[in-house]
Amino acid sequence: MLAVLGVFFVYPLLSALCTSFYDWDLLTPPRFVGFDNYRAVVASGELLASLGTTLLVSGVVVLGSLLLGLALALAVHRPGPLAALARSAVFSAYVVSWVSVGLLFLWIFDADAGVVNRALGAVGIGPVKWLTSTSVAPFTVALIVIWKVTGYAMVVFLSGLSSIPPELQEAAALDGAGPISRLLHVTLPLLRPTAAFVAVTSLIASFQLFDVVRLLTQGGPVRSTTVLVYAIYEQLFRDLRVGRASALVVVFFLVLALLTWLKLRAFRAEAAA
Amino acid sequence: MHRRAFLRSAAATGGAAALGSAAGCADREAPRGRVVVPFWFMYGGRNRATLETLVTRFNRGQGEVWFRAVFQGDYFEGLAKLRTALAAGAAPPLTHVVGEVVPYLAEAGVLEPLDHYPGAHELPLHPALGQAGSFRGGEQRPLVVVPFNRSTPIAYANGRIYDAPAAPATWLELEQTARALTRPGRFGFGCPIDWWYWAALVAQAGGHVVELDGAVTLGGDAGVAALGFWQKLVDAGVMKQPPGRDYNAWEQLSQDFLAGRVAMIWSSTAFVRYLEETADFPVRALPLPRGVRAAVPTGGTHFVLLKSAAQELKLAAWRFVRFVLEADSMAFWASETGYLPVTTEAAGRLEANGFFAKHPNYRVALDQLSVAEPWPWSKSLFRIQREVVQPALEAAVLEHLDPGVALARAQKLAQVSAL
Amino acid sequence: MIGERHWRRLALGFALCAALIWLFPYAWMLLTSLKTSQELLKAPTALPAALRFSAYTEVFRVIPVGRYVGLTTLMALSIAVLQIAIALPAAYALAKLNFRLRGAAFACLMSALLLPAELRFVPIFTLFSALGLVNTLPALVLPFALSAFGTFLLRQALLSVPDSLIEAARLDGASELRIVYRLLPPILAPSLVAFFLVSFVHHWNDYFWPLVMTVDDRVRTLPLGIALLREQGSGVRWHIVMAGNTLLSLPALALFGFAQKHLLRGLGSGVG
Repeated sequence: MLAVLGVFFVYPLLSALCTSFYDWDLLTPPRFVGFDNYRAVVASGELLASLGTTLLVSGVVVLGSLLLGLALALAVHRPGPLAALARSAVFSAYVVSWVSVGLLFLWIFDADAGVVNRALGAVGIGPVKWLTSTSVAPFTVALIVIWKVTGYAMVVFLSGLSSIPPELQEAAALDGAGPISRLLHVTLPLLRPTAAFVAVTSLIASFQLFDVVRLLTQGGPVRSTTVLVYAIYEQLFRDLRVGRASALVVVFFLVLALLTWLKLRAFRAEAAA
Repeated sequence: MHRRAFLRSAAATGGAAALGSAAGCADREAPRGRVVVPFWFMYGGRNRATLETLVTRFNRGQGEVWFRAVFQGDYFEGLAKLRTALAAGAAPPLTHVVGEVVPYLAEAGVLEPLDHYPGAHELPLHPALGQAGSFRGGEQRPLVVVPFNRSTPIAYANGRIYDAPAAPATWLELEQTARALTRPGRFGFGCPIDWWYWAALVAQAGGHVVELDGAVTLGGDAGVAALGFWQKLVDAGVMKQPPGRDYNAWEQLSQDFLAGRVAMIWSSTAFVRYLEETADFPVRALPLPRGVRAAVPTGGTHFVLLKSAAQELKLAAWRFVRFVLEADSMAFWASETGYLPVTTEAAGRLEANGFFAKHPNYRVALDQLSVAEPWPWSKSLFRIQREVVQPALEAAVLEHLDPGVALARAQKLAQVSAL
Repeated sequence: MIGERHWRRLALGFALCAALIWLFPYAWMLLTSLKTSQELLKAPTALPAALRFSAYTEVFRVIPVGRYVGLTTLMALSIAVLQIAIALPAAYALAKLNFRLRGAAFACLMSALLLPAELRFVPIFTLFSALGLVNTLPALVLPFALSAFGTFLLRQALLSVPDSLIEAARLDGASELRIVYRLLPPILAPSLVAFFLVSFVHHWNDYFWPLVMTVDDRVRTLPLGIALLREQGSGVRWHIVMAGNTLLSLPALALFGFAQKHLLRGLGSGVG
């Protein structure tokens, strides 16, 4: 186990750190450039832009999937065929490939012949530039991601709900509390650690988004959906700049480390609850 | 036990898949004893089908070599894969690349020099399309490319809407035409915000993207004028800029044109066949207007052989290249796809069998080659195109930035890029 | 004031909407795949005139579906099996054996979670390039040999296995290897199944790693092959793309149908 860890985990990180100080296009010998790569990705605005875009999309995704997941969990945490159907339907999106989801929504959100714009057109709303407007595209991407990952939040909340002793609910009901009051004062507070856990896990996962961006927008229009991993990919494969890609990787690692630290704290809180 | 059941079904799937691939792949598998040569190509749709027909003809026409054509996505995806494959030592012997990246690949030493290959200098190439005509000073360098599918920008007009006998001859006339043809629900003019068309405008305005001494000026004033011209048309509401990126945008524009939402578009000669066949109105191909001069860049791709491949594979690849450039194949290729016939022989063949008479649009495309502008032989040309200019153009038009400022910023980025 | 009954109706109404929103896209994908290109051009949002499978035949003509499926399955299977083979002894060591660096080893393992594939690919790509392993099956399988998530899952499960069981086996003369690979698997069966399924599905669906590690179609996986269907050129042929997409989604959905409980357990266990 340690051997595998060493080769495939430790080595890449150290190697990335090293190559970030070189200019290398894989075809000609590498050239030492010190911190120039870092300076270049900052100066070109690329680092900040991709971090910003990633934060924006991740923020929307986490918030959206958290709220939606919670609402869905509350709605389907009951016996019966409809609830079971909803549970399966929502969770099935989590299981299919990103390629499936990406191609599907590329077609659904097609500006000209996609079903969404056609439906909107039928009620008089002009064609929306879902994937081709710099202001709308990131939100469309976030929406699609929410569609795919809400199942995860829902499932975790469901298990959280299951671990709430029913006696607490019954006691509150006996005290005269209606369903909304019970929700606000019994259920939600008990779910707080679960929510924190889901939030951080989803955040970490959203930071790794790549497939959906590659399939739908290729980072465009005008880089408005270029998230961090996509920026790294482009640096390496489109521009063949290994050094700059490595610099971005180092930054990515630091961000992830921070987020994981947050996650560990949330995990301990949930375990304690 | 779930696990056992699952493993059983997995085995069954694997077996079925193996059977399936054995059954349906007759033409994909090479007959025994032949040298298999992988060839990476980047076409979709009709062009892909035409290429596959050529490959099949070649494979059936001789018994030593078997070409395996592998689809790799669009030009840019394919190029990314090629470069990484070169780095990983897994490159094919033959592929085709856009003109802008040729200097970079040549200078990196990955392209096979073709001077000593049989018949390399006897190919009856159209002067504007070979290496000498496509690049400034191209004839002084070792031969590394053979043109394959070549094109130029061209204007298409909806014959039902635009019935003037001649094309708009100058930028001013283009603007006036665009205004005249614009109605509610229809734009007079459309053009993808793309490096290629910008380069055309820059050349027409008398500038060079890269100067003769290698300085990256992005056309200077001509560059600004070109960008400003677009912005003027877009802001006046007479030009549609299609959404999307790269070939997505060109695709979208074709759809808009076919649906009658745009009266005249700038597109590639490569789409002539597709548009003619799909439109329910007559399609007129028109040459581009002039600025202070008439100029069009060339586009499309060139065949290249990769040095890293085995000699036997490279020789086999060369045979295929010769085959494609024969009059029969090239005439077939050009007539089916709309790309320019790259040899004078093929062009003559199409003239002789009345093809040009039936499809006058092709003649317009061919005649425009007389004002074709060569590209500078600069190894950063490709980086400039992708990393610097393309995003600057998109941003400037989409976000209404001042063209001078946008291009100045781009120029500075180009210095950083040249690192 | 919303009473119990209204609450219940609201919840069910919401559940119904959710089911529709999550099922409609698949239905749309299927419907689109049954159309012809003419229908798509003229009436993209109408129902198909008849059940035509020409799009599917075209998909099979254009890409070697069988080969891609076989390869993808082989790759995912290899990864899952390899991961289990490595995770079992690792989890056992971390849960049951007492050795000095146990705490440190555990910390190392957890920090591996910090390094997703997207972060490691640049150096691994250059390493494999130098070794000539790019575009081969090992390049797709080996980097995933260790699953931190899986190891953690098994460790958790092992913590609740009584030590006496293992002691008894040792007294019977069983070697450590036997214990790990013969004694433990039946006990850990539910966790192993969950681990296997999650890993298999995840890697079967993987797009990023095969995209990065392959350069042509020699070891191309199905997700890559289907993604390439959206060719540029003269008109995206959506019915063909959707037909390919349906083929791509079927295995994951089928697996989901059969093994939903196990998948849920694997993912809902709250880790990774």
